[in-house]
Amino acid sequence: MGVRGTYDQELSQLKNDIFSMGEAVIEAFSEALKILARQNKTKMDQIISNDASINKKELEIHDRATLMIARQQPVATDLRTTIVALKISSDLERVGDLAVDIVKSAKRMEESAHESEILELQDMAAIAIEMLNEALAAYRERDMMRAQQIAMMDDKVDEKYRLFIKDLFASTDKTNVEQTTQLAFTGRYIERIADYATNLAEWIVYERNGKHFDLN
Amino acid sequence: MLANTKSEPVVEETNEDKAVDMNKNVYKVDQLNLWYGKDQALINVDMDIPENQVTAIIGPSGCGKSTFIKTLNRMTEMIPIVKTNGSIYYRDENIFDKKYKVEQLRTKVGMVFQKPNPFPKSIYENVVYGPKIHGIKDKKILDDIVEKSLKGAALWDEVKDRLKENAFGLSGGQQQRLCIARCLAVEPDVILMDEPTSALDPISTLKIEELVQELKKDYSIVIVTHNMQQAGRISDKTAFFLNGEIIEYDDTSTIFSSPQDKRTEDYISGRFG
Repeated sequence: MGVRGTYDQELSQLKNDIFSMGEAVIEAFSEALKILARQNKTKMDQIISNDASINKKELEIHDRATLMIARQQPVATDLRTTIVALKISSDLERVGDLAVDIVKSAKRMEESAHESEILELQDMAAIAIEMLNEALAAYRERDMMRAQQIAMMDDKVDEKYRLFIKDLFASTDKTNVEQTTQLAFTGRYIERIADYATNLAEWIVYERNGKHFDLN
Repeated sequence: MLANTKSEPVVEETNEDKAVDMNKNVYKVDQLNLWYGKDQALINVDMDIPENQVTAIIGPSGCGKSTFIKTLNRMTEMIPIVKTNGSIYYRDENIFDKKYKVEQLRTKVGMVFQKPNPFPKSIYENVVYGPKIHGIKDKKILDDIVEKSLKGAALWDEVKDRLKENAFGLSGGQQQRLCIARCLAVEPDVILMDEPTSALDPISTLKIEELVQELKKDYSIVIVTHNMQQAGRISDKTAFFLNGEIIEYDDTSTIFSSPQDKRTEDYISGRFG
């Protein structure tokens, strides 16, 4: 054990907490997408109730980081690791909330309607999930290059979202406004999740070199 | 393209009473080397010490930080085996110049040591010791100096009713502030502090730290400290010494958030030293 073994263990624990929270959020998002295509009431309720444990994880990370600042006075990279854990956990918590929003939108939609639009949404969401997975991997490896590539993936999501909205409203069945609105909302939620993945990438770059980059 | 949002200028806070010229230095140290016999304690040290700021010197034991601060008012030359080369310019004059008078330097550069070292005299006599040596005899002037210096050292309220009592009756923290008052009494330009709080309790330490923040409005301060958090709390610039060399010297905010050298980072995060 090094000179500050306990402290180093606490820093590792903080990072591990972020991984486990990230994995839980990605799972919630993936499950929410499955619900879009095939509604399952039990699954829907499960995703919504699981969000409470994601929120709890965020608070645990905040408490751990706060105690580390108070008791260990981290500086330099250690300080950035602590601050970044606070920022990333907040962004992940928002992604969890958006997964719940997708489920709530799905609930308001008719089953099996608008299959082609849902396929488009899933196609867009697949990129967003990859972005989140890449962000977690980049966070684990402190890999700045990998983090920066996430921005390029976000551009693809933005373009898909733009086309999706354009097509959706061009072909709208005026008699089913609620359905169209929920599809548009869901598209927006997925696009926001991709933005949060980009935020994670920005914090990973900051953790590594202390510099702020706007990747969005 | 990635936009670097960090390009905005950072606005430095300056105190309102006195505009600080960030480019003005009290000391310019140029290629300073120092040996104790055959052992080299300082190696090619280059350092500009800014006016009206607190400059902290940090580093592990034996890194040369105390030697360095003592060299700034030529205290090391009293040790027979010490040899130096290079230059130290104080207010543009080389203090190693043969014509330069050490008394002249010490009038302008005061020093506070690790352990409080008041004279075995009254509080009053401790403060007026320096001014009396400089020939001031007028009681009224001396009284004013005592009040001003003790107020400057944040000690006046605690001792104003017992100025004639022996200084040894004060607590350690009060004794250290008395030593600072004694230093202020001769109106120096620079105050050198060699681990001034290492013998003090936490509250006395914080009082000295607050005092340092006040003093920098009127004085330039160089402080050697073993306590990294103290350097982070009170200094504007920090120099990290290791094995006689300056490894990194930068704004304290940079040293404690994004140091450039791995050795600096390992030291300030407590991983060695």
